[in-house]
Amino acid sequence: MDAAAQIHAQLTRCGIKLAASLPDDWIAPLIERIAADNRIRHVRVAREAEAVAICSGAFFGGVRSVALMGATGLLTCTGELATLNLRHQIPVFLIVSQRGSIDDHRIYQEVQGRRTIPLLETYDFPYHVVDRGEEIGSIPDAFETCRMQKRPFVLFLTRRLVKGEGA
Amino acid sequence: MKTREAIEALARHRGDAIAVCALGMAANEWWAATRSEDSFYMHGAMGFAASFALGLALSLPDAPVWLVNADGSLCMNLGCLLTEASQAPRNLKHFVVANGVYQTVGALPMVNEGRTDYAGIARAAGISRARTIATLAELEELLPGIVAEDGPSFTLLHVEPERGFLRTPPMTYEGPEMKYRFGRALERKLGIEVFGPQGY
Repeated sequence: MDAAAQIHAQLTRCGIKLAASLPDDWIAPLIERIAADNRIRHVRVAREAEAVAICSGAFFGGVRSVALMGATGLLTCTGELATLNLRHQIPVFLIVSQRGSIDDHRIYQEVQGRRTIPLLETYDFPYHVVDRGEEIGSIPDAFETCRMQKRPFVLFLTRRLVKGEGA
Repeated sequence: MKTREAIEALARHRGDAIAVCALGMAANEWWAATRSEDSFYMHGAMGFAASFALGLALSLPDAPVWLVNADGSLCMNLGCLLTEASQAPRNLKHFVVANGVYQTVGALPMVNEGRTDYAGIARAAGISRARTIATLAELEELLPGIVAEDGPSFTLLHVEPERGFLRTPPMTYEGPEMKYRFGRALERKLGIEVFGPQGY
């Protein structure tokens, strides 16, 4: 089972019934797996902050949800995460590609690699990095932590995890 | 049509609908008209009341959800119309109170000053039930049909900008209290579980 299939299985264990996404190339296979699952309502959005707010609305409908996006997209929604989710203590679970890592040789991801985690720490958003297949089983714990901490929680997927060792 | 008149007309026809209000004028006026706790009043995330309402509507397909948006907020997130159209929730009605200005900061003009056809944009995005209403009489006449029709629908309420507008006070609670009042109101109203057995 590849990483996307394993993550999808763990999200099912979490009881996820709605996913809102805007892809980057690392996370696209996971999004397409979720889109093909008719047990999960999949919402394609035009901007990542839409996914954040859709999941926040779903929370009040009693529906467990996940927002999927790339690291650049995460940076674009920090205002909404602060003024909607922090302000009202609304949990939102985000799965994000950890772009700009030392094995991500894309110059346009370099700033994201250096500044994303310091930014999350400034906002006091918890995060967890999943780097290897055996760590995918931690997703239900991460989801429960998000609910308990009542704030945005970012689960990062590394290049090694989603592209494979040495890819 | 005055903003207050438009909002009060919506409130009279609301029925069982759950409301989501854009921050500022829309939220403050809806609170003044309804004092309702089964309404979510945005305090931030300008533009994203629409997305919040969509997530709520998709999660509660049997419950009517009304979005009370404003033109300033709509312009912050016009892409919401594409997402609404693509998801096509039958239970979602999108109202926009449009005065062409940023009312709560002193009625400064908005971008493109009165030239934008928002209902036309909504139709072009794929929301076929889209219209602009300019008078209170027309609003009163059309609202029963709007309430009865399937969503998604888009109704722009063209209201007068009010220079020297005395800001309507916001709701009397905020932040986490709003979360719990709104969530508990939905639990009581719909018999759903928003918060778990330990309250989070």
